[in-house]
Amino acid sequence: MLKGFGNFLMKELKELIRDPKILLGMIVVPLIMFPVLGGVMSYSVQSAQERAQRATLLVVNNDEGNWSDFLINFLNVSARISVESNIVLDNDTAMELLAEYNSTQLLEIPMGFGENMIEHVNVNPNVTAAVKFYGVFVGVSIFENMGSPIDRFVYDFNRLLAPDVLKAEKSTIIKGEIISGVDPATLSSILFSQTIALPITIMILLTYSIQIAATSVAMEKEEKTLETLLTLPMDRLSILAGKLSGSIFVAGVGALAYMIGYNYMLGAVTSAIPAEAGIDLAALGLVPSLLGYLLLGISLFVALLSALALAVILSAFAEDVRGAQSLVGFIYPLIFLPSFALMYVDIGTLPFAFKIVLYAIPFSHPTIASRAVIMGDYLTAAFGIVYVSAFTIGVMYAASRFFATEKILTAKLKFKGLRRRRKTPVEEF
Amino acid sequence: MSVAVEAADVVKVFGEIRALDGLSFTVETGEIFGLIGPNGAGKTTALRVVSTLLLPTAGSVNVFGLDVVDRASNVRQIITYLPEEAGAYRNLSGWEYLEFMARFSAKSKDESRGMIKEAAEITGLGERLKDKTKGYSKGMKRRLLVARALMNKPRLSVLDEPTSGLDVLHAYHVRDIIKRYVKEHDVTVLLSSHNMLEVEHLCDRVALLNKGKIVALGNPQELKEKYESANLEEVFAKVVKLA
Repeated sequence: MLKGFGNFLMKELKELIRDPKILLGMIVVPLIMFPVLGGVMSYSVQSAQERAQRATLLVVNNDEGNWSDFLINFLNVSARISVESNIVLDNDTAMELLAEYNSTQLLEIPMGFGENMIEHVNVNPNVTAAVKFYGVFVGVSIFENMGSPIDRFVYDFNRLLAPDVLKAEKSTIIKGEIISGVDPATLSSILFSQTIALPITIMILLTYSIQIAATSVAMEKEEKTLETLLTLPMDRLSILAGKLSGSIFVAGVGALAYMIGYNYMLGAVTSAIPAEAGIDLAALGLVPSLLGYLLLGISLFVALLSALALAVILSAFAEDVRGAQSLVGFIYPLIFLPSFALMYVDIGTLPFAFKIVLYAIPFSHPTIASRAVIMGDYLTAAFGIVYVSAFTIGVMYAASRFFATEKILTAKLKFKGLRRRRKTPVEEF
Repeated sequence: MSVAVEAADVVKVFGEIRALDGLSFTVETGEIFGLIGPNGAGKTTALRVVSTLLLPTAGSVNVFGLDVVDRASNVRQIITYLPEEAGAYRNLSGWEYLEFMARFSAKSKDESRGMIKEAAEITGLGERLKDKTKGYSKGMKRRLLVARALMNKPRLSVLDEPTSGLDVLHAYHVRDIIKRYVKEHDVTVLLSSHNMLEVEHLCDRVALLNKGKIVALGNPQELKEKYESANLEEVFAKVVKLA
C-alpha cells in the first residue's frame, strides 16, 4: 500500500467535492443535460413514428387496370393512401398535388403497368412492372428516415405474388424539382453522415476557443499582472478589446480552418459516393453555394465570438486559471446540448418550447445554418447571424462595463447560499 | 514644496469590512513617504485607491491636483504602481517585458530605448534579461518590476512592499535606487512596508496605520523622540497601546 495515499486522497476528495463550481459544472449540469437530451430524442423518435403512421401516400393511378386496382388495394391495407387518376406528372403538378394532400411521398402507377404485370405472370417472368416513387427531400434527420415505406411495400408485394415482379423507380424531389434515379433514403443517409460532422467540429472549436480566452484573462490574475495593467496609461476598454481581438483572431483563423476542412470533407464524402447511386450532391444543389459558405462562415464566427465574450466575462470572476476553467464549464452545456440534439433531430420537428430554447442558445445557430444553407434557406442562416450578433454585442457591452470598474479586480462569484446553509447551527446537529 | 498626494477622510468598505476608516495624509513632492503597519492595516488598500485601482467609498484623493476618481486616466499618465504580489508575463523575456511597458509612456523609440537601458541597469540582470521571465527567481522578478516602475521617471511612484522577496543585498540595492531616483529625477515615492526598520532608513516621513486609520505621522527621527523609542517598531507598539 502506498504510504500516505489514503490520507492524501481524502484531502483531495474533500477539496474537490466542497468546490461548488466543480460540483455544479461536473456533476449537476450533466445530470440535467443528458436527461433533457434523452427526453428530446425520445420525443423525436415517437413523433417521427407517429408522423410515419399518419403520413399519406399519394397514389397517382395512370394505368387504371385491374392490376393497378389490386396494387392500390394492397397498399390500402397497410398505409394511409389518397388516390388521384390520370395526371401527367411534372415538377409543378407533383408539388401541387403533394401540397394539396399535405404529403411528402408520391407513388405513380404508370400507364402499361397492368400489361407488364400480365406479361410477367403469363408469358415472361423476366419482365417487371415498375411504379415510380417520388420522395420530397425536406432535410436530414436520423429519425425521419424510418418513415419511408416504399421498399417494404415492394418487398411484401413481391412475396405475395412473385419474386421481382414489382420494381420501384425512385426519384427525389429537391427544392421543387424532380431528380430521377435518386433514392431519397440513400440521399438522406449520405447527407446525414456529413451533417453529423459539423456539430462535432463546432463543439470542439467552441470548447477549445473558450478555454483559450478564459485562460488568457485568468492568467492576468493568476500571474498578478492585472493590477499593474489596470494602472497603466491605457484605456480600460483597450484591455478588453485586446483580449477579445486576440481571441477573435484565433476564432477567425479557427473558423477559416474549419470551413476549409468542412469543404474538404464534403468533397471527400461526395467523391466516396458510389457511381451507381447516381448521386452528385453538387449537381443536386445539396452542397452550399458560395453565399451559403459565406453565411455559414459568418454564423460560425459570430457564434465563436459570443462564446469568447462570455468566456472573457465569466473568467473575470475567477481568481486563477483553475477557477476560470470551472466557471466556463457552465457554458459547455449550452454548446453540447444543441450540438447533440441537432445531430439527431431536425429543429422543425421539436416541441415549440424546446425549439425556442434551441433558437435562444447562440451556439445552436451554426448547426442550424449548416442545414439551412444546404436547403437554400439563407433567411434562417441570416436570422441566426443577426440574433447571435445582437447577443454578442449585449455580452460585450456588459463586459465593457465590467472592465471599466474596480469589479474586474474585486469581483468573485460566491456561492453564499451553500456556505450559509452549512454554517447554520441547527442543521449541523 | 507642492503637494503630490492629498488624501482626505478616505473610507473604503468591502462588504462588512471597513478597510480604510477616515484616512488623511499628504505627500510632498520629491519625498519618500511610507505607510507602515501590520498586515490588514489598510496599507495596500490605500495605495490601490491612490493608484486608481479602487474607488473610495467616501472621501477624496488627489494626485498632483488630479482627483483619482474623476481624472483617473490623467492620474495614470503620471504614476506607476508596483503591487506587492506583482508578476511579469511568463512567456516574454525580461527585455520584452520592459519594451512592452516602455511603449506605454515613451513618446519616441529613442526615449523607449533609453528607458529600457536604464531599467536594465537597475535590474542588474545582465544577459538574463534575454530569458523568459518564467525562469526567473522571485528576487529577479522583483528587481525587474521595480525597474519597470522607475524607468519612465514617473512624477509619483506607488510601491507596495518594494523589497518583498529580495535578499538583504538586493533589498539594499533597490532601496539605494529608490533614494537615487527621488534625488536625481524629482520622483515622489509613496510606499508601504511592514518592515519598519527598512522604512526608517528609506522614508522622509511615515504614517503608522492601524485598522484603516493613521495613528501617528511624522519624520522617523521625530517619532522615535516623541515616543521615546529606539525604533519605529517600538513607536508602533506604544502608539497602538495608547490608542
